[in-house]
Amino acid sequence: MESGLTSLLSVSIDFETSHLFFPRIIHWLMGGLFALVLALNVVPFLAAVRRGERTLPILGESMDKFRFFGTLALIAAYFYLMDVVGNLFPYTGYGFLFVSVVFVFLMSLMYMHTRTKRKVVTAAINAIVAPSLAWFILAKLFQITLP
Amino acid sequence: MSMPNVPKTLGVSVLMAGMAFGSAAVMAADGPLRGNIRVVIGSTSTGGDTYQNSSIVVDALSEKLDLNMKVDAVGASSAFRFLDRDSRGNTLMIFHDQSYLGYLYGVEGYDNIFEKYTIGPTVAINPGNAYLVPKDSPYENMEEVIEAVGNGEEVRVAIQPGGVSEIGFSALKNAISIEYPGMEDNLVAVNTGSQADKNQQLFDDQADLINGTVQANEQYTRLPEDDQKAMRFVWLTARQSTIEQAPEEGLGQTSREQLLQYVEPNVSVTMGDENFTFDKEFFFLYNKDMDPAIVEQIDTALSEIYAEGEIQEVQKKSFFIPNFKPSDEAAEYLENKMTVYKEIIENIQ
Amino acid sequence: MLDMLSLLDITFFLLAALGALVGIIFGAIPGMTATMAVAVCLPLTYALGLHHGLALLLGLYVGGISGGMVPAVLLNIPGTPSSITTTFDGYPMAQRGEGERALRVCVVASVVGGLISAAVLFLFAPLLAEFSIKFSYVEKFLIILLALTVIASMSRNMLVGIFSGVLGIWLSLIGTYSISDGGNGKTRLMFDFLEPYLFEGFSLLPVLIGIFGIATILLEAEAGVKSGLSDKEIKIGKGGGFSMGLFRGRLTNLVRSSFIGTFVGMLPGVGGSAASVLAYTQEKNLSRDSSEMGKGAPQGLIASESANNALTGGALIPLLSLGIPGDSTTAVLIGAFTLQGIQVGPLFIPENHDTWYVMMTALVFANIVMFFLMFYAIKHIAKVVLVPKYILYPLIVMMCVVGAYAINYGIMFDVWTLLIFGVLGYLIQKVGLEVAPLIIGFILGGQAEIYFVKSLESFGTFSIFFTKSPIAMVLWGLIAASVAFSVVMGLKSRAKRRLEAA
Repeated sequence: MESGLTSLLSVSIDFETSHLFFPRIIHWLMGGLFALVLALNVVPFLAAVRRGERTLPILGESMDKFRFFGTLALIAAYFYLMDVVGNLFPYTGYGFLFVSVVFVFLMSLMYMHTRTKRKVVTAAINAIVAPSLAWFILAKLFQITLP
Repeated sequence: MSMPNVPKTLGVSVLMAGMAFGSAAVMAADGPLRGNIRVVIGSTSTGGDTYQNSSIVVDALSEKLDLNMKVDAVGASSAFRFLDRDSRGNTLMIFHDQSYLGYLYGVEGYDNIFEKYTIGPTVAINPGNAYLVPKDSPYENMEEVIEAVGNGEEVRVAIQPGGVSEIGFSALKNAISIEYPGMEDNLVAVNTGSQADKNQQLFDDQADLINGTVQANEQYTRLPEDDQKAMRFVWLTARQSTIEQAPEEGLGQTSREQLLQYVEPNVSVTMGDENFTFDKEFFFLYNKDMDPAIVEQIDTALSEIYAEGEIQEVQKKSFFIPNFKPSDEAAEYLENKMTVYKEIIENIQ
Repeated sequence: MLDMLSLLDITFFLLAALGALVGIIFGAIPGMTATMAVAVCLPLTYALGLHHGLALLLGLYVGGISGGMVPAVLLNIPGTPSSITTTFDGYPMAQRGEGERALRVCVVASVVGGLISAAVLFLFAPLLAEFSIKFSYVEKFLIILLALTVIASMSRNMLVGIFSGVLGIWLSLIGTYSISDGGNGKTRLMFDFLEPYLFEGFSLLPVLIGIFGIATILLEAEAGVKSGLSDKEIKIGKGGGFSMGLFRGRLTNLVRSSFIGTFVGMLPGVGGSAASVLAYTQEKNLSRDSSEMGKGAPQGLIASESANNALTGGALIPLLSLGIPGDSTTAVLIGAFTLQGIQVGPLFIPENHDTWYVMMTALVFANIVMFFLMFYAIKHIAKVVLVPKYILYPLIVMMCVVGAYAINYGIMFDVWTLLIFGVLGYLIQKVGLEVAPLIIGFILGGQAEIYFVKSLESFGTFSIFFTKSPIAMVLWGLIAASVAFSVVMGLKSRAKRRLEAA
């Protein structure tokens, strides 16, 4: 009995494949839990959806499509262009500086519900001052590498 | 400290930062190297030897060339990738022997640097690579370790796999296979991580011998024997000639004289015809397509810096051994070095 | 002693105060950390000399760790990884208009944690270092496991919570099994074409600010970015409803969490974020009434912030008495010593008495400065929530970018990680998975793997986790208690819900 238990618990890990040992355990755990979640939470939920008591997430909800997808597109463009522009001026942080000014301004405009002149001017000043300040302090004073 | 002082302290901070960095903010330069230069290193630590050594060299270079240069600790795989992408010369790299040892050990993310990059000048050696045993270890010296393994005793060595930390272990294994053929499998690697992990293996009695450094382990060698943490140097892999250049007072309370006891030929780990040595050398790596004029420019600048003799003092103060070789010489020298280690690693496989 | 006093001039105290101030600013910017603050100021110490340099760096360290509470409470973005648990209770309070009150609780907890850990460091450093080396891979794994048990007790639905936690662990395993931790350096859980980007996996900080910061903005955008709290709803001025009375009956929590923070900080490699998570777990398990935790209870803030600042003293213990950094910031501090040609190791304190006392002075002083700076600045800081969202949100995105890009000294993929995890965080909340357990799984997953696999590599049997040492058995006792507690709590709340439904 004793030796049976010992051999059951003993394990030898080959160093060459040791990177897969722990992920394998996690996969099993995750698989098992997923099955449980599916059975106990998802199936009853879907049944409730079919009966019309609940709505599907995202698809069945109302959303501000313009602002939501606008945010996603703007952020993606911001990240992409920052790198591209930054590459034209290697390691000066200008990529970050120039693209941030545009991004901050556009995002401000998008999130405004009423565009009064005063609000737009505030946003424009903010869009120029804030990135410049961040750039000056971080890239110039602290010499942190920026795109 | 209350609110009214905040503007004042802020003022001090701006002033201080301005003084430290202001002088370097120059754009124009006459040479082929232009704009801001980023020097990426193969380590992610800003407290480690690669960063420290690179800072010393890059600061001197930045002053000499009148350029903005900045060391970024991005780590090996990222550093290689940055270098791959930039042939303009705005990205340079500094790393050490790990750059080709990683390739020899088949670690993912490492390629043959001699084919893929241009090798730049070497700048310094960290002579500290060491092997230690617990102070109360039955093994007095490396000879006894080798003999014990040869007689069938299992000796466990804590190392970090895949590079500088493993090369001494590989050499030891190779030496045993030469002196006691067939017994080398009794030397077992305990693969672990940081210096803290390696020390811990020794404290836990999970290793009989560990890889360490003079810098990080010297104080442990001065603890009394009844302390669980006490250790003893048995081997420094550096060449005798390297340690001979160290400051006479050595490091901490361990003098150069004492350190010399642990290097070849006092400790011999054979490679057949001669003894194994390993110096951890720092050198530049460049993008293959970078303008050769930049290589030239940096070589010239560095030889002037080393001729002035100030940088050597700074390096020695931090226990680095100055070791400037211009690019051509460095490339040939390092490639030969790699060939030697390649044989060792192939022998024991 | 007299020698040492001559080292403490006015510049010394000014530098420590300046460090604390700059540190707070760094910590308060999402993505900027104490480690980064210390790293960028390291070159300055060369010119300043050792003792003045240390004053500055320790100030930065204390300030940087403390500053993390600000965005955690006000914006639901942990400014540093260790302030993650601060968001759980801080943000709900800020949403109720109690941001200032929450921050004051945090500041008081922080200074107490910082001072307790400094006292422990001063009195017991060598002794505790001796104790900390009793923790091998096995015991460290059990500590991580104990911290992971918080997942069960903090989730709304235990099954979903645990699943989210395991998903977090899975995400943390993407990338190489790192050589620098003793792994074999091979990649897993990805396709070959992703290797150039995912080689080192997702970095913790971009993941955190992505899943909290960017996801919050996406959720707001979906709802049309309505205007937020107005002046009237926010209790600002006159302490914002804060009084020391909030700490009545919380002394045990405060002291316990401070000791947990110190202790976890002391274990090399276990790292910062585990400290506040562990303290939070223990408060949840041990306090008489923890039902409000996670919904805006000051006790959660006390646990989180006192533990998180207690890290500072804790992490210095192995640094100064073993030469081993307790966390990533102290790893950079080693650089300051080597720059000055001073070795840290087991003989550091006996051989450098002056430096040791100077460091203690700087540490205590920095904590006090931090307290006064923050306590009186909070009134103004808390007004951040009054800034219109169309101004605030673009700036948050911009600062997140800076932080993410700078955390690994300039990697563009870390910026993309923000967006990936922003979207993921949004989806997770939409489908009903739980963010907090997922992020705790992500933070602790990597360490859990190393310690688990390395234990088995060394000993070759699963039984070692039970038989290794008395410490291991004590830890199992704590784990069992924690699990039992969360099961009981889960059943109770289910019964309550049923009762309400009926």
